[in-house]
Amino acid sequence: MTSSSIWISDLTHYYNKKQSKPTLDNINLKIPKGQLTALIGRSGCGKSTLLQMIAGLLMPSEGAVRINTHTVIKPSAKWNMMFQKPSLYPWMTVRENAALGLVFAGTYKEKQDRVEELLDMVGLAEHKDKNVQQLSGGQQQRVALARSLATEPEVLLLDEPFSALDAFTRVALQTEVSQICHDQGITMVLVTHDIEESIAMADNVVIMSHNPGQIVGDMDVPLDYPRDRNAPEFTQLKDQLFSEFEKIDQAKQKELEQQAS
Amino acid sequence: MSVALDSLSQLSAGFKKLPAWLQGVVNAFIGMGILLFLWWIGGILIESNPDTEAFAAFAPGPALSALWGLIGSSYLWDTIYSSLYRILIGLFWGIVIGVPVGILVGYFLPVRQVANMPFQFLRMISPLAWMPIAVLAFETWDAAIIFLLVMATVWPIVFGTAHGVQRIDPNWFRVARNLGADGYQMLRRVILPAIAQDVFAGIRLAVGVAWVVLVPAEYLGVTSGLGYAINDARDTLDYDTLAAMVVVIGAIGFLLDFIAVKLIKRYSWHVE
Repeated sequence: MTSSSIWISDLTHYYNKKQSKPTLDNINLKIPKGQLTALIGRSGCGKSTLLQMIAGLLMPSEGAVRINTHTVIKPSAKWNMMFQKPSLYPWMTVRENAALGLVFAGTYKEKQDRVEELLDMVGLAEHKDKNVQQLSGGQQQRVALARSLATEPEVLLLDEPFSALDAFTRVALQTEVSQICHDQGITMVLVTHDIEESIAMADNVVIMSHNPGQIVGDMDVPLDYPRDRNAPEFTQLKDQLFSEFEKIDQAKQKELEQQAS
Repeated sequence: MSVALDSLSQLSAGFKKLPAWLQGVVNAFIGMGILLFLWWIGGILIESNPDTEAFAAFAPGPALSALWGLIGSSYLWDTIYSSLYRILIGLFWGIVIGVPVGILVGYFLPVRQVANMPFQFLRMISPLAWMPIAVLAFETWDAAIIFLLVMATVWPIVFGTAHGVQRIDPNWFRVARNLGADGYQMLRRVILPAIAQDVFAGIRLAVGVAWVVLVPAEYLGVTSGLGYAINDARDTLDYDTLAAMVVVIGAIGFLLDFIAVKLIKRYSWHVE
């Protein structure tokens, strides 16, 4: 059993007090160190909210998040987040964007080389001096990836960062990011509603249901990297996860009907 | 035949298609030429009318030769210095007050809601209307004029800055917080670069208004500056000098605007 890196305990969240059901209901979760965990669920199940709480961008109504030895009370470059949109700063070059976390920390001078290496690694060696507006969407998300990795985070949180990309770029980045996770031993949490993406990238998948947002299941993905999306085991796991989803939906439906009657 | 046609079309293309920048310069000269021509016509009309004959020195000929004489004199440069000094001090205070106020107005909705009506109200008052109050409130005419210039410059800068702040992508804040930015770093690395182009657009408008307000403001009390020089030239019936001063005012106004446009371009982060 691998050791955990993130502990979420008794976490409940209401966006406002008038809600009859909480957005997140009594979440307890351990996320293993150095692995990629996917949080998967329909839109509105609170998975992004949960991710923002891990990042310290939102505080839960009840319960707590702990990352390694720290209780999360605010954002930190140690637990970094990649968003759906790259949100680069258009007045900066590729290099300046990637270096920003180090500039904030005041360590850019010492760690300049790291920025260069990361940009080489994500395939932007020739674009370092360009303005980020000259890049394609996929390249921009690569800059955001380099920016997130530059501060040497222990945890990298991924909030559907590939969903706005074209299919080829998406597959390439999915492969690269899960590679980085295991090569560098960074704990990653991926929020997605894409079943294939979760099977392609994750070591384990956590399934969430909505209204209220709860954890209703999990599944290991015991496949080697890099993963062959056409392999029968891959397809089988995908189908398994999909039928798991249907089961949850039917159960939910029944529950709602019972409540109504 | 076809060779002849080809070379003909090449020739006409050669006439039509100047490089874009050169075409721009040529067009600018055409515009100035038209203006000069109209001025010249006006001069002739004034000279040929017995009622206005005395003002014939307004025409381009006398005015430009007066200007040539003035350029060699320290009087012109002292005059320009006085006016530019007032503009720069007025603009300085306009920026020092306008940018922080604009950031607050742009960033906080309640501040915007509270400030909107009074600011729109104050903005519509001609800065010159503050003159009597300014004269009472300040000991020197110079300070009074600078106060008027601040009243002229502060509003475009406030509104330009607020507009810039409102256009900031909220994700930029989120990403910066997430990367560990503190308040100062947020201001220095995110807010200020993000709004710089809008601030300079506000400053450009402010310079335009301030320059227009400056001349009538200098009609009063002070004994230096372009407004004073115009009034003085009128009193001494020096109409060629008066017209020359008008040319100087236009030229400096153009130059100030040119600088402001350059600054907007320099700090604009939109890539075409």
